Amino acid sequence: MIATSLRLLIGSIFLGVCFSSVLAQDLTGFDIMKLADDAQRQTNDSSFNRMQLSSCKFGVTDGRITCADRPRVKSLESVAKNYGPELKDTKSVTVTLEPAAERGIGMLSYTYDETDRDNETWLYLSALGRVKRLASGDSDEDTEPASLFGSEFTTEDTETGKLEEYTFNILEETTTAGREVWKVEMIPNEERAKKTRYSRQVHYVDKERHVVLRSEMYDQYEKEVKRLMASRVELVNDIWMSRSLTMMNLVTNRLSNMAFVEIYTDLDIEDEFLSQRTLTDAAYRETELEKLRAQLN
Amino acid sequence: MFVAPIAYSQQNEQLNLEDEAILSDEIIFDDNLFDNVFDEQPNDGPDSWLEGFTFSVSQQFYGQVNNHSVEPLPGFSFPRQAEMENNRLGINIRYQNGFAPGWLIQASGQTRTYWKHDYEHEANNKNIDAEYRINEFFLQRSFDQHSIKFGRQTVVWGETVGNSVLDVINHFEFRDLTIIDIEDARLNQWMVVWDYFGAGSNWSSFVNLYPEFNPASVRGSPFFFEPEFNLTDYKRDGEALAEVGTQWRKSFDRSDISFMAAYLYENQLRYEDPVSAIGDAVAKKNDFLLLGFSANRAIGRLLLNFDLAFSHNVLADSFNFPGTTALSSPLDLKKDQIGTSFGFEWAVDNEQSLSLGIQAQKMLDEDEGLLPGQQLFNQGVFGSWLVRYSNILLNSDLTLSSTLQGDLNGDSLLALLGVNYTINDNWAVDAQIISINATSDSPLVFFDEDLRVGMTITYSY
Repeated sequence: MIATSLRLLIGSIFLGVCFSSVLAQDLTGFDIMKLADDAQRQTNDSSFNRMQLSSCKFGVTDGRITCADRPRVKSLESVAKNYGPELKDTKSVTVTLEPAAERGIGMLSYTYDETDRDNETWLYLSALGRVKRLASGDSDEDTEPASLFGSEFTTEDTETGKLEEYTFNILEETTTAGREVWKVEMIPNEERAKKTRYSRQVHYVDKERHVVLRSEMYDQYEKEVKRLMASRVELVNDIWMSRSLTMMNLVTNRLSNMAFVEIYTDLDIEDEFLSQRTLTDAAYRETELEKLRAQLN
Repeated sequence: MFVAPIAYSQQNEQLNLEDEAILSDEIIFDDNLFDNVFDEQPNDGPDSWLEGFTFSVSQQFYGQVNNHSVEPLPGFSFPRQAEMENNRLGINIRYQNGFAPGWLIQASGQTRTYWKHDYEHEANNKNIDAEYRINEFFLQRSFDQHSIKFGRQTVVWGETVGNSVLDVINHFEFRDLTIIDIEDARLNQWMVVWDYFGAGSNWSSFVNLYPEFNPASVRGSPFFFEPEFNLTDYKRDGEALAEVGTQWRKSFDRSDISFMAAYLYENQLRYEDPVSAIGDAVAKKNDFLLLGFSANRAIGRLLLNFDLAFSHNVLADSFNFPGTTALSSPLDLKKDQIGTSFGFEWAVDNEQSLSLGIQAQKMLDEDEGLLPGQQLFNQGVFGSWLVRYSNILLNSDLTLSSTLQGDLNGDSLLALLGVNYTINDNWAVDAQIISINATSDSPLVFFDEDLRVGMTITYSY
């Protein structure tokens, strides 16, 4: 559901792509993922992003991957801030800029780390004429994977944490795209297996930058069903992160690219901005966004 | 760094999707696949004022397809032939521009061109007709904890989706059976709205500077019937009318609550025969006081909604049904009315949702002021129910929806099946089937056994 998708998109979009720059020569797979989890929260806190999400049917022509139809493009602007004693709760606002038919749709989400506390989501559509609370379901623990904005990314692909629900194996040290990487296997435990669509995942982690450059997702028949590829790895606020993620669905032959056109973190974001007012009061929202942009200069 | 190029092929190119190609180790791609998004220069300057426009162009076909006859009274029947009702081109324009810090202007309008076989075309002596309307048009100023909006806009109260007893601020127009959702039928009015955003709660107050009333049915539309006297809008004759209201809203963990109070005019006019028995019917307005409370409660994937309304001095003989008008009756009483709407919305899973809303109202002290043998038009508990279901498929490209709607007495049932398919970022197709069944006790009896099929194709940019 879109509410869930938005919530998780803002909360943890980087999918373990961003890792701490701490040296990790002797780290286990779990250690690496733990570092990733911490780094993700760091990149998410007090952040302002502008994203473009493009999807198309793909194929291979003359050895090159190509879009077989006109890509569908969504442009989104989001602001997020972490709360709670360990900054594990997140409040976020996302506004759709494109396509035109969805322009101005706003979503406010509060996600809570506590498993017994329901997340909260409010939607604003001009047709509704008011802010509307959504029945968005329980915490992340109980939600099943859902597509993000109709893309090939799912909430499962983008969520963080839950590391204790997996076992990890470092399969080998190799190279991909000219970079030295660890190849880390991630297998869900019995409990997690009930909620995931993948029997295992393999991540290629850049040894120097600790960025996942590629991920492979397998189904219960050991068939690779999805593949994630990362590019545009850049240093943002002292954290290496990928600004372009491409998810290929090898079953449906569709791919989606998530491009972080603008990423800014450590901004001074007023708590009031992450409230229902931002959904209904467009004059206030635009003014506050201008203030955020001013911090970037 | 993982870089490499994916190319964007021509549409008709033959694709090779062999596993070996897809699964090769070094699939390389670049970001030029999607319009060089990273190569675009950030726009640090002020946005062009033209960027605030959104356009959509739509062509709609709609018709009643079931040949049958209707018998509203025993022994009196008339045929209902299959015919096209809507053949029209619509253009919707929306504009929003935050032109200065704390300032925003927003406007939307629409044009409709009625082609051959459209009922508006037929009513216009079989000539192509056109209509223009401004929907929203307001200026907004936000500062500190305050926001003030002046201009044409809507104010929506109540939590129950589709049939809240508190959603009575704006008037509405159910012009034909292509519009059955109140969200589409609500009309804007000239208002000043002042919002105060407090630390834990919000106030929203409005003054309606020019209260408007539900328009009479458009000649030629399925809802139109030839009245004995022409039904006109309310004649103000320089009389200044105004509506005022305020709402206090607070959000809690898993719940929102609101209290509201307002001085309003009933949206539905009441028509009486002209004194001299010639000329137009006399349109009469009625003012009343509204006190309301609404709340919701989220329980996992379930959202419970509740609205409560107390109306003081509403016309007891008002006859209020979508698309129809209130005609005079022997009664001329004002009474108090209590109403509630409640229901739930259930997110079955990430793609499916189901909602139910029930609206029930009752006049208090029904018999007071009645002569022996007289009865209120809305005697006892009256109201409606509404069920909506939707299922999103194909990565959100396809939405299937259905709506069932009826009155509490079981005298009418309206069923809608809808399909919305998004072809790409610009094009979308919407198709609907609407079926109506009604007994002679329902105003919808004239549409009994009607079956309507329609399609709308929309281009947005």
